[in-house]
Amino acid sequence: MIGARDTITLAPGVSVRAGRLEDRVRSESWPLNASAVFVLERAGRPLGETVSAFAKAFQLPFERAREDVLRFVWELNGLALVNVERSGSRIRRVREWLALAARLAPAGAVPAAVTRRRALDTRSTGRALVSCLVAVSSRVAAVAGIAAALTAQVAVAAGPSGLGAALVVGASTGLGLGLHEAAHAALLHGVPSALVTRGRRTSVLHAAVPPTRRMIVAVGAPLGVALIGILAVGTGSFAALPLLVVAGCPLTAHALALTVVGGDGRVACGL
Amino acid sequence: MRSLRAFLLGALATGLVAYAAAAALAVAAQAGERSLDLSLGPVVVMSVTERADTTTTTFGPGLLLLAVAGGLVNLALAALIRRRAERQVHRVD
Repeated sequence: MIGARDTITLAPGVSVRAGRLEDRVRSESWPLNASAVFVLERAGRPLGETVSAFAKAFQLPFERAREDVLRFVWELNGLALVNVERSGSRIRRVREWLALAARLAPAGAVPAAVTRRRALDTRSTGRALVSCLVAVSSRVAAVAGIAAALTAQVAVAAGPSGLGAALVVGASTGLGLGLHEAAHAALLHGVPSALVTRGRRTSVLHAAVPPTRRMIVAVGAPLGVALIGILAVGTGSFAALPLLVVAGCPLTAHALALTVVGGDGRVACGL
Repeated sequence: MRSLRAFLLGALATGLVAYAAAAALAVAAQAGERSLDLSLGPVVVMSVTERADTTTTTFGPGLLLLAVAGGLVNLALAALIRRRAERQVHRVD
């Protein structure tokens, strides 16, 4: 959901030049009409203000102007070309989201997720790894917290050791996500890339690469994380370290992304 | 070639996950000082045996069988997705 006080910014690697919207990551550009330029020139200002100015400039009823501007912003955001900067406190946003979700519930729908694109520095493997881990860190923390809380519901029956295992599962699940995306970024060194999050999906957007490299990028990340997991499981089994085995399991589960169930697997299988 | 790739990736993924799951179960059984036998009919996947002060964990050929089954399932799903995509390409409304 996008509010009147929210603002938009051009996503990292996106610029407006000579009446065209250019995306350095996709190596593509699109022509903009006068109304699109009008909205994008006002990036950084509250959207409500932009809608009022748009209605006045194009002599449109306010409702029609709002519909046009929001549809355009949603479309660009869905393509990861603009980021929506939320205003107000997180608690207020959660409250507004819950209110909208309750209104949409009878229709069996949930509020649309906002896409966010973050810059990745892929000039070298090291920079790619670090910039990706930094970009995905907030999501890693959220995933780790959710995984730990969910596992704790079951693990609490086993007592204090179960809670320890829940924390390990949470940390390992979050770490797995971070390593997976960082490995994609590292394998894309030298290729303009960006980290994109939308709802529960996390992906790395990148410039076109030859099919063989695309397959290596798709296979390398889940396989690398899964192999780290197997190493942890194997070492834990031999050294009788149960927590190491537990930590290795969520990492090994990334192997499932090699199958057609996951997007990486579909790329790897040539689908 | 694409079919072989789908089979190999499916087999690898299933094999790795099956091994990790079996190892986790084995560690849990060892911690509880219990014996455990997992098998697919006559084919042993994993067994934990407690004898006196010794615990023995054995991974059997069942893991390989699971991996092959995973590979075949992935191959079948890949073929299904490809066929659906082709059907959509040749469809007009």
